[in-house]
Amino acid sequence: MVTDFLSYSLIPLCSALAIPFISRKSRRITEILANVTLLSGLINVGYIILHYIIKMDYSSFTFDAFTLLMIFTIYLVGLAVVFFSTYYEVENDTNSNSYYSLILISVSAMCSLVMSRDFFTLYIFMEAISVCSFALITSSNSKNSIEASIKYFFLTFPASVLIIFGISILMLNYGSFDFDTIKFTNINFLTVIALSMIIIGFLIKSGIAPFHFWTPDVYQGSYSPISAYLAGIVTKIGGIYAIIKISQILYNSGATYKISALLLFTGMLSVLIGAFGAMVQKDFKRMLAYSSISQMGYIILATATFSPLGIFAAVFHLVNHATFKTVLFLNSACVEKNTGTTNMEELKGLEKKMPYTSWTSVIALLSTAGVPPLSGFWSKVLIIIALWQSGNKYYAVIALIASILTLAYFMIMQKKVFFGKLSEKLTEVKEAKFQLLIPVITISIIIILSGIFFNRVYFYLEKIIM
Amino acid sequence: MDKTLILAVLIPVLGAFTLPIFNKISKDLRNVMAVVIAAITFILNSMLMQSAFSEGIRFAITFPFGFDFAFKLDPLSAFMAVVSSLTSLVIVIYSIDYISHYENQTEYYTMVILFMGSMMGLVYSDNLLWMYIFWELTGFASWRLVGFFRGEKDVTKANKTILVTMFGAVVMLIGIIYIYLNNQTLNLSDLKAREIAVLPAVLILFGIFSKSAILPFSTWLPDAGVAPSTVTSLLHAAVLVKIGTFAYAKIFGTVFYTPESFNYAVLIITGITALVSGGAALIETDIKRIIAYSTISQLSFIFLGLASGSKMAFAGGILYILMHSIAKASLFLCAGIIEQKTHTKDITKMGGLVKTMPLTALAFALSSFSVMGLPPFGGFFAKFIVFKGAIETNDIIVPSIFFVGAILTMLYLSRLFYKVFLGNEKINAPSEGSPTMVASVLFLAFVGLVLGVMISYPYSYANTTSEIMYMGVSVK
Repeated sequence: MVTDFLSYSLIPLCSALAIPFISRKSRRITEILANVTLLSGLINVGYIILHYIIKMDYSSFTFDAFTLLMIFTIYLVGLAVVFFSTYYEVENDTNSNSYYSLILISVSAMCSLVMSRDFFTLYIFMEAISVCSFALITSSNSKNSIEASIKYFFLTFPASVLIIFGISILMLNYGSFDFDTIKFTNINFLTVIALSMIIIGFLIKSGIAPFHFWTPDVYQGSYSPISAYLAGIVTKIGGIYAIIKISQILYNSGATYKISALLLFTGMLSVLIGAFGAMVQKDFKRMLAYSSISQMGYIILATATFSPLGIFAAVFHLVNHATFKTVLFLNSACVEKNTGTTNMEELKGLEKKMPYTSWTSVIALLSTAGVPPLSGFWSKVLIIIALWQSGNKYYAVIALIASILTLAYFMIMQKKVFFGKLSEKLTEVKEAKFQLLIPVITISIIIILSGIFFNRVYFYLEKIIM
Repeated sequence: MDKTLILAVLIPVLGAFTLPIFNKISKDLRNVMAVVIAAITFILNSMLMQSAFSEGIRFAITFPFGFDFAFKLDPLSAFMAVVSSLTSLVIVIYSIDYISHYENQTEYYTMVILFMGSMMGLVYSDNLLWMYIFWELTGFASWRLVGFFRGEKDVTKANKTILVTMFGAVVMLIGIIYIYLNNQTLNLSDLKAREIAVLPAVLILFGIFSKSAILPFSTWLPDAGVAPSTVTSLLHAAVLVKIGTFAYAKIFGTVFYTPESFNYAVLIITGITALVSGGAALIETDIKRIIAYSTISQLSFIFLGLASGSKMAFAGGILYILMHSIAKASLFLCAGIIEQKTHTKDITKMGGLVKTMPLTALAFALSSFSVMGLPPFGGFFAKFIVFKGAIETNDIIVPSIFFVGAILTMLYLSRLFYKVFLGNEKINAPSEGSPTMVASVLFLAFVGLVLGVMISYPYSYANTTSEIMYMGVSVK
């Protein structure tokens, strides 16, 4: 593990431990503590990153940019969800003591995961994240959420088995789990077997086709702010991140035994299954879940090139996905709160009543569909170029054309939920509370700015490859 | 001048987003600001046009991968910018009355100005990727504008508009990436005078045709007529469909040498489009759909000029863009007045409107003459030069197809005028439109006439542009 950033994972952990004790006095303090912990962390890490992005002077830049960026993203989504939950009146639905503690613990675990430099640590924190997630999904204690949690548990635990098997083989082979040790020794067949098992495990964890069956059920069933949290960051850090790391390991080695081809195939499959699946959904959150599968496919495509540009694009898309998917899920949570349903057939014409929710979701969906000049466009273009340069021209073309599918299902969603004539049942609906809009609007601004100032973001992200 | 160049793009693009803020203060202020921004953009572009022939006016910010954010002034861009900002300005002034009793006005003005701004960005872009970015921005703005009325049908048509044009744009992006990976740059100045392979050319053409509503992508344009008339006028005359012709002129006319077979294929496709859309315009009964089909057929004439391969025809194509913009904007705005006063778009229910709406009828007639190509209107000279240039290339099939297309144009416009303005009165006493609206259409109609009478000025500009910039077909 790198220890430079250890405070980012220890401080939330301490807060999480303190919360059960202080919450006896007042529930308000719990909320304040959770928010302050994450906000201070975000300001700290945000300052470091922004300092370099604005000054564009990297002479004093010494630390691991990739890890720092991941920590920034984790804190950003974590804070958005916690802040949102504070005004979402979670105390009516959940046991708020454990709720905030669990979120903080999982933030801490995710930060530790991105700091890990060997497979075993990675595995331990992945399991810690999973355990937090099982509990968080059931926050609302409804029948659906418990069902979702059980599904999540049973459908993803084979992943743990595969990963631990793979790790054992690595141990037998090298006597080490360390990324660098594996990276700089010759990769033989046994290593490839081991890495493949680990990759499959993480593909299951991140819900890539053909292992995607749990995602729609889980995102739909879980408590709304938690859906945003899971889709925005948790399943990405707990799954995709490891695949990006493995891709970095394999990038140096020539012999990859067709792992690249297989990953490309699953990635493409996810893109298409996710996109077509999203088109036929009737439920807002379920549609977003399929969209998530599709976007994860793009990241897998990029990582599968095993090229610096591909890894770069994958990381960029991961960050972008965290921003726009969080916005969309939080908006769906607002819609659910104010109308009592996420069924798109019953919703109509909410634009008049919820203008900010409508416009922020337009921004987020356009970014997802890769419409310039939003940030999602740049990452998608880079993915396409990476694919093309690595000789997978046809994948590049299909991936690009598939982005029109993304646009299509979002158009359907926007038409059903926000545009059109207001349905009569919904005349009493009001815009979400101002406080609930703050995280959504902030992240939308980030989406726009990082798209417009892409050159600066690029110079920062370039450090990741170097 | 470099500063003027960047201001001409940034003022409308950023200014658009200040309109919701002005709206908080007062609605009138918002309307005034919309007009002011449009007027400033027009003035800046006119200033740029004066120095359009001087070399090296360029503004660039370096981006990684050679995706430079670069603008460059050249005669063709300045011309297009002036034409579309002028028509946009008239349309915005007209909108103040026309749009005043609908909802979503703030969104409307924001999108119109953003539309205009992204058009400016597109015409001045010196980088293919940024051209694509502004291209998509116009797509976004048109999506919101076509879906201005929020009925079920309107939103569906708006979605159709964006999906068709964005599909084309994505295919075009593949072509752009192809060019990028072959040449390692997307700066048009650096790409100048290179050969382009057939595959990327076809991919880019796909995007151009989807935006300009050439067959087989033509159906979205008539469908977009569900939007308010000002919007359709904007789409047809000032910005959206002209983007395709402009991009064709810029990319295939002035940057790359294109293979001759490619140009010939373009001519055949657009020729067929002219016939099909002319025929469709003859049998339609919805006034806006007729004018929309007329746009499609006229766009084919622009392509005839741009793709024929002679300098004369290219100059004609440029002139045609000007004449068609002015005339078509006027026609749609007239249709807007008629629709607002008669509350119908069905021409079989109209008739005899010349008695009650004489000024609108006059503007409509003058603009129709220009589109038909009757002397001494501007449209005549444009059409004449296009044909002359096309025949110079010694091919007889293509000009004859287009000749039939020109006859169809006369037929459907005469029919339209007859059905709407002449004959027996069927709708009781529609009054003339508001003064601002009528003044706008008359202004455009007379501009069309004046441009025809004083054709030597626009012609010499177009001719010089063509002499300097036109690359011609591939030598191979």
